[in-house]
Amino acid sequence: MRIAMRGVAVRLLTTVTLLAGAAPAAYGADAVVSPRVRVELLSEVGAISPGATFWIGLRQRIEPGWHTYWMNPGDSGEPLRIEWMPSPGWALGEFAWPPPERIRVGPAMSFGYIDEVVLPLPVTAPRDLVPGARVTLQGQASWLVCEKICIPEEAPVALTLTVTTGTPPPDTRGAAAIAAARRAAPTPSPWPASFSATPDTVTLTIAARDLSLERLADVAFFPAGWGAIDNTAPQHVRASAAGLTLDIARGPVAEAVRRPLDGVLVVAEKLDGSVVKHAFTLSAAPVGSGAQLPLVYALLLALVGGLVLNLMPCVLPVLSIKALGLVRHADELAASRRRHGLAYTAGVLVSFALVAGALLALRAGGEQLGWGFQLQSPVFVTLLAFVLFTFALSLSGVLVLSARLAGVGQSLAGRAGYAGSFFTGALATVAATPCTAPFMGTALGYAVTQPWTTALLVFEALGLGLALPFLILTLAPGWRRVLPRPGAWMTRLQQALAFPLYASVAWLVWVVSQQAGPPGVAAALAGLVLIALAAWLHQASRGVHASWRRAGTLGAATLALAGVAVGMLSGAVAARPGPTAAETGWEPYSPARLAELRAAGKPVFVNVTAAWCITCLVNERVALGSHAADDAFARNGVTRLKADWTRRDPGITQVLGAFGRNGVPLYLVYPAGSGGRPAVLPQILSESIVLRAIEEAK
Amino acid sequence: MTNDSLTRRTFLAATGLAAIVKSVPTPAWAAAVARVGTSAPAFTSTATTGKPVSLGDYRGKIVVLEWTNHDCPYVRKHYETGNMQALQKEATGTGVVWLTIISSPPGTQGYATAAEADALTAKRKANPSLVLLDPKGDVGRMYGATNTPHMYVIDNAGTLVYAGAIDDRPTSRKSDVDGAHNYVRAALADVAAGQPVKTPVTRAYGCTVKFS
Repeated sequence: MRIAMRGVAVRLLTTVTLLAGAAPAAYGADAVVSPRVRVELLSEVGAISPGATFWIGLRQRIEPGWHTYWMNPGDSGEPLRIEWMPSPGWALGEFAWPPPERIRVGPAMSFGYIDEVVLPLPVTAPRDLVPGARVTLQGQASWLVCEKICIPEEAPVALTLTVTTGTPPPDTRGAAAIAAARRAAPTPSPWPASFSATPDTVTLTIAARDLSLERLADVAFFPAGWGAIDNTAPQHVRASAAGLTLDIARGPVAEAVRRPLDGVLVVAEKLDGSVVKHAFTLSAAPVGSGAQLPLVYALLLALVGGLVLNLMPCVLPVLSIKALGLVRHADELAASRRRHGLAYTAGVLVSFALVAGALLALRAGGEQLGWGFQLQSPVFVTLLAFVLFTFALSLSGVLVLSARLAGVGQSLAGRAGYAGSFFTGALATVAATPCTAPFMGTALGYAVTQPWTTALLVFEALGLGLALPFLILTLAPGWRRVLPRPGAWMTRLQQALAFPLYASVAWLVWVVSQQAGPPGVAAALAGLVLIALAAWLHQASRGVHASWRRAGTLGAATLALAGVAVGMLSGAVAARPGPTAAETGWEPYSPARLAELRAAGKPVFVNVTAAWCITCLVNERVALGSHAADDAFARNGVTRLKADWTRRDPGITQVLGAFGRNGVPLYLVYPAGSGGRPAVLPQILSESIVLRAIEEAK
Repeated sequence: MTNDSLTRRTFLAATGLAAIVKSVPTPAWAAAVARVGTSAPAFTSTATTGKPVSLGDYRGKIVVLEWTNHDCPYVRKHYETGNMQALQKEATGTGVVWLTIISSPPGTQGYATAAEADALTAKRKANPSLVLLDPKGDVGRMYGATNTPHMYVIDNAGTLVYAGAIDDRPTSRKSDVDGAHNYVRAALADVAAGQPVKTPVTRAYGCTVKFS
């Protein structure tokens, strides 16, 4: 990654007296101090306390029509750099580059600044500074400024401050400008990012699942390096289930897509009547990092993966029952056995082709999905739990399914048994899906980046691996000699094999709990109870009078359907838990809790927020969640209440309305003492705003 | 790695051709766009000698294209240190054809008439095989030249094998010439040795080309 500040000396000159005179121009073809860019050093503090860390900033005032460059200048240009006079004791950070503008120059796209920019950087003073002394930081700044023509310029920059013992006052000139620049500078992205590449396109996905395009005024990605994407290309932004997706034409460096794609994402968000820009640093990992995997190797990996799948708790019972069927029908003709094996294999392969086809089609439609994508849907997870539960019930003997449906092998001799074997294959595939992802990562990651024919081939290799053990059993019957003769042990084994399936069901319900919360779990469990009831009804009504039997079957079917419907409902329940309560120190908001605290005269901070509100996230990250703010809240006994508006909540909507808002964020600070109106903080917070508000509230 | 990038390039070549076939209704200059790893697009331009020059004239030879703008500080860095002239001399000495191309239109920085361009060559003791005048920017656009200097190497099979910067020090400081890794020299050495170019694409640096 090309970071422009690399290699810049990170030391500052400190002298007791001001160093007069600029360093002579040491280099540069045409370097001049010109009116095109005026540079100066600013400080956020008016004095230095020894050992303190504070921010300084380099301000560029740029003539109209001209521009200077960001840390990655784009297709041409060069970023500003500064060479500091060496001096021991000082520690100097790197520039926190505010996000640039896209500046189109002929055939090239530049990333740069127009008008004015402040480049902030943190510095730490030595501990042994003498109070009262004056200290000068001095360096030589050099930069390129372009209009149609480009001119390298350079100038000495210096900043002189007095050493003080107390808390230094903010600098009247620099504090606001530096604070604004630091607010504009990127913060780490709260969302994971990834990208995939075709020969023509790079698709960057930021897993900001909650965002909607209506709230977004603009989205732009600025790469930190050159070559992975075409800088001049328009960036097509979509909001999908996977999050924000940017389609960008690919750049000229072929290898660039094998490395992480680093850069800055600038998101402009519409807040109540205004547009707020946020910048995030992100590092997108290449999806399908196995892109260099030879096909043969991928196929082999998939085959082995498929074999391993047979041992998974959700698949093993399916296969075992099938194998027991072979034992039971030991006298079966070899040809018939083989046909069963082939039917089962066909069932597996067809099912894999269907699932893989759906996956590839959805991906082609722009969805960022991976294998196991079905499991992202609580509806699917619930239904899978129901299927496995039903099968487990049949193993337990609660329910005897017809061989056609369950294909467990009881009627191997019958002609219909082939269909049964086929559906067992399908069932094995379905049962295997939750177990697939962790084992098949490499092969499947490779598959989804390939043309669809290759991808299908890999998926089918996986299926073949899954089908292979049973296929071999049917082809090579010698193994049965080592088993005891058919008998009661088989029933016991069958019943025992129900338990891995129950365990799988329990696990799936836990997955639902993560996806859909308590309502989802309740619905899934209710569905399981209904299915058990339906199974019992179906079984109990066998061998009774025909009309009763019909009623029983109908009732069972109705109940099973009801169970499934309830399961679907669980998926309809908002599929995401609210923002995680990972941040300590925050209590959920309720009007009662607020009233109680107010009655006790305690100061309260109310944060009305939502997971899909970028500004809220940024505020929580840079201001509310900072160590200093954490300290101040705790020290001053301010209770923090978090009102989460991620999902519809009429109570919170009323709170917003009471303060003339109909959107988040909203920050309220109730002062100590039970009277008094709360202070409303601005929608864009800085640490100092929060600290001041806490001071005033205590 | 090398083999791999080679197959990737072949792949790009195939898709690049496909894109060309598809893009019928485009401006003339966009009819072919240079892509490293594919055939260098053919062009015809006028040399300062007044004669038309085609890339096809040099079939079987290694060709270097150098986009220039004599007033650009980045170009001056390489001419005022003698770096560019030395590379030109070294390359042409081994039979490489070196074409210096000026794409600045009249009235913009870097524009030169044939006489002015020849005077510049004499004054700077430059050693190009020819200097081509491309004031309409047709060749520049065809090759996607964005910067001056912007360097291209075409091998003796007519394949574009290098596009990008002259070296790895993207500054206008003359002191940065010493110790820089010269990508063009490295690419020419790879081609001469019959090997794939190790670094086929880099970010060009310099002043933007002043297309009309």
